[in-house]
Amino acid sequence: MLRYLAKRAVTYAFMIFLTTSAGYFLAVTSLQPALLEQEKIPRPTPEQIANSFRLKGLDPALSPWERYVEWLTGIVTRWDWGRSPNGAFINAEFGDRVWISTRLFLASIILTLIIGVALGVYTAARQYKFSDRAITSYSYLVYIVPAPIAYFLVQLGAININETVGERIFFVTGISTPGLDGGGWAQFVDMLAHYAVPTFAITIVGWGAYQIAQRQYLLDNVNADFVRTARAKGLTRNQAITRHALRVSFIPVAQSIAFTIPAIFAGGFFAEKIFAWHGVGSWSIDAIALQDVNAATATLAYGSVIFAIGAILADFATTLVDPRVRVQ
Amino acid sequence: MTNLNAIDPAAVAEEAKIENNDVVIAKSTIILRRFLRNKTAVTGLVIFLLLTVLSLVGGAFSSWDKETIDPFNIGVGPSSEHLLGTSQAGIDLYALTVEGTRVSILIGVVVGLVSVLIAAVYGCTMAYFGGKVDKVMLFILEALIMMPALLVVAVATSGGGNGLKQNLPSWLLLIIVLLIFNWMGTARLIRSLSMSLMQRDFVKSAQYMGVPARRIVWRHLVPNIGSLLVLDITRGVTGAILAEVAFSFIGIGIKVPDVSLGVLIGQATSQVSTFPWMFWVPLTVMFLLTGSLAMMNDGLRDAFDPSSSSIGSAKKKKKTT
Repeated sequence: MLRYLAKRAVTYAFMIFLTTSAGYFLAVTSLQPALLEQEKIPRPTPEQIANSFRLKGLDPALSPWERYVEWLTGIVTRWDWGRSPNGAFINAEFGDRVWISTRLFLASIILTLIIGVALGVYTAARQYKFSDRAITSYSYLVYIVPAPIAYFLVQLGAININETVGERIFFVTGISTPGLDGGGWAQFVDMLAHYAVPTFAITIVGWGAYQIAQRQYLLDNVNADFVRTARAKGLTRNQAITRHALRVSFIPVAQSIAFTIPAIFAGGFFAEKIFAWHGVGSWSIDAIALQDVNAATATLAYGSVIFAIGAILADFATTLVDPRVRVQ
Repeated sequence: MTNLNAIDPAAVAEEAKIENNDVVIAKSTIILRRFLRNKTAVTGLVIFLLLTVLSLVGGAFSSWDKETIDPFNIGVGPSSEHLLGTSQAGIDLYALTVEGTRVSILIGVVVGLVSVLIAAVYGCTMAYFGGKVDKVMLFILEALIMMPALLVVAVATSGGGNGLKQNLPSWLLLIIVLLIFNWMGTARLIRSLSMSLMQRDFVKSAQYMGVPARRIVWRHLVPNIGSLLVLDITRGVTGAILAEVAFSFIGIGIKVPDVSLGVLIGQATSQVSTFPWMFWVPLTVMFLLTGSLAMMNDGLRDAFDPSSSSIGSAKKKKKTT
């Protein structure tokens, strides 16, 4: 098992290296921070720009290959991911951003999974009854709404609630009120008011996919022979489903969970942009808008790493849930 | 040497006789009948076709186009002169919506069709050759899955000053980028399905008879995964339309002056309370578009799935006289 995981990890490490390198070349050839610098007032001379970029290790005079070698040496020898055109260090910025993203998505991911899988089981057990039809139609409805628009609608709703009550209950943007003083309780209430809207929005958009998947897989198994055998032995329908069908049907869902967590993390651009939480996702978009080669590559590498972890976890989860799978 | 592959005219005649005898119904007829029986799916198809037609010829019903500014009606609501109102710049919203719908449908259909085609060819090739080829191709596939598509979309469509970007309209650029990143999931699925098909006897016998590889893939593998391909086309179209809206919504993807539904929705979000029609009209059109596709998707699955029991049997009921 360990050997297998190690082998997978090596493969993925190589893959991460390739995607990151490809991303670096794409970024370094198409992003030109020097153009943005010229819009500054007072306008710096080309020599000044070139000089300041050289000091930050972003010399535009070098060829992409030379810059790549320099950048890679920095990472391999000093774990230094370079600097932004405005002089900020990527390493320092990165930690903050990841922490913000984690806070934004952790609660939503857990809620999404629990609600989605639970509702999937519930609806599969009551196939074609009213509750099944209502919940499943909702999931399909969510499927045809682009995530940013759903977030935006939730945000509008929260603003409407605030307006009707005449008091600011929910904060629709930001992480916390800057300069808020007061005891632990006030801090806690402030935190809740900021977390409520984004968490709610991401959760209600997210669980639809899990509900449909879990329902589908469970329904495939409900009429299988081994469940019928269990029923014949005298188990009630619910017992047969929970003890025999559920475990098998959870395997593909477990696979997809491990693959979706990175997608949510790395693909949280929309949520972060709309709720103004400055996490990794919105950082990557800003990095491209500011023509920041190193930051864009760092976020890309982060996305690849998360994906690799998710893929290995998926393998691991399958062996854990499914007794038939043996890894060598 | 007699050619074993030659078609026996007697067998053909036999088959034709059986088919005409109404004992065997042609597969396409069954699928068509099952699809038409599903009222929701037919409604979806009709809505989708209506929207497509409207987006193509709708411009003729209005005297305004997407560039003319009406200086007397800036930011007014729906009226007799401007069917759906005007934007804050004084441009007729109806003209904008028609144009945006056309771009969105174009992106959706092209990306949906072509990405499934790429996925089918790639997946079948992997499954057919197996071994080393399979390993290398799978590696490329996973590396591509790893690349966050959004970053690449942003880099590719951001104004970096490259010659390519200035020459291509932004919708074409978005189509290319979406194509590059849309086919991998389907290709993986097709690979695993085709691999199990490769073990079947009819493929083996074709191989022993010396049928060339391309022919085996095209004649034996593709028809067997056809239902999956059709489903993936509608799903791919929906996905591409949604992706375009999502990307344009946060300001990457389609760039002004090109118009799409996502651009219209995205521009209107900052003024929802002052110009509500600018937000709700393109949003409604988008819902109609994706909703109709989802309705069709459901009907198509039932029509193609031989074990589906949700809509009766394929054979027409005998009239009770």
